[in-house]
Amino acid sequence: MTAPSPAPPAASVPEDDPATSAPPTPLALARMFAGVALAGIGGGLPAHTRRALARRGWLGDEAFAETFTLAQLTPGPNAVNLAAMVGARLSGKAGAAASVLGVLLPGLAAMLAVSVVTLGHPGGLPPTLQSALRGAACAALAVLLGAALPVVRVGWGVRGGPVITVLAFLALGVFRLDLLPVLLVLVGAGLVVHRPRRAP
Amino acid sequence: MTDLGEMFLAFARLGLISFGGTNVAEIERALVLERGWIDAQTLANGFALGQLMPGPNMLAVTHYGYAAAGLGGALVATLGFYGPTALVSAGAALAWQRHSAHPWVIAFRNALLPFGGGVVLAGALVLGQTSVTSWGAAGLAALAFLLLWRTRVNSAVVVLGAAVLGALLGL
Repeated sequence: MTAPSPAPPAASVPEDDPATSAPPTPLALARMFAGVALAGIGGGLPAHTRRALARRGWLGDEAFAETFTLAQLTPGPNAVNLAAMVGARLSGKAGAAASVLGVLLPGLAAMLAVSVVTLGHPGGLPPTLQSALRGAACAALAVLLGAALPVVRVGWGVRGGPVITVLAFLALGVFRLDLLPVLLVLVGAGLVVHRPRRAP
Repeated sequence: MTDLGEMFLAFARLGLISFGGTNVAEIERALVLERGWIDAQTLANGFALGQLMPGPNMLAVTHYGYAAAGLGGALVATLGFYGPTALVSAGAALAWQRHSAHPWVIAFRNALLPFGGGVVLAGALVLGQTSVTSWGAAGLAALAFLLLWRTRVNSAVVVLGAAVLGALLGL
């Protein structure tokens, strides 16, 4: 996971990058994103997406940065949202659908196979495999923390950010409150603090 | 047998309310505490497996769906978690090309980023309570974190290495 840049999106966005090559077909997008998924084991999908697009000359850096920022703003898993947005931008609705399927299918097939094996054991898993999974879970926690810190740092730098971050952590992690009301209250407070003001 | 329609809605909700990261705390609250579809161990195992799979990290939802309701559950959970948010994103991208930067978008982003920080920290706390149950596990997590932080090694390699170490140590 890459940290979003703290800078707001540029106020003036060029209508379109000069086309460096013909727009890709949905099928080509699906193929590209399946490759991105396979390369991105363990995370870093946005970085792989950017590299793959640049190599094919389908989307310039500026357009990519803008799309990436937007993907941060939409609810849901970042990497898949990014695929949907890149696909929509390059090839419309069919492109979005093809990109999402491409980025999901390799992992879906792999996860299904692993789930059948690990959950199909009557009476639980063999002890060695359980120990291995516990070890992997510790590393997965480290991966989550490593991805969390940049997100926290960016949010910390926003005016009023530390207060919102700590309150969200306490409400969700310690008191285990329902997310939606917490989101409405805290993001609402943030919107009040940051509401656009007319330039004097 | 779990009702697949209810499952689709539950996972769609989880997808739509996760912002900028994985919302482990809410996933645990909804699936383990509220509905009892999976247990805490399955939650931690699925999350670890998700780190090893090609594609987005939260393919753990496929594992949770399979654990709760077999193959149909796995497909419904995956479709529910990723489908609606992808639709919203594609729509937003198409709308964005029509309207350029708006002051409220910047305000929204500034309001959302600190909240996202709290969400990921809460998720780490919840996952840590399940995974770090011994000094050995704590040491392994710290070692993995140092490796990820200090080197440019691929995180899948770190997770696999930790799995091997866990098996050797008999965690």
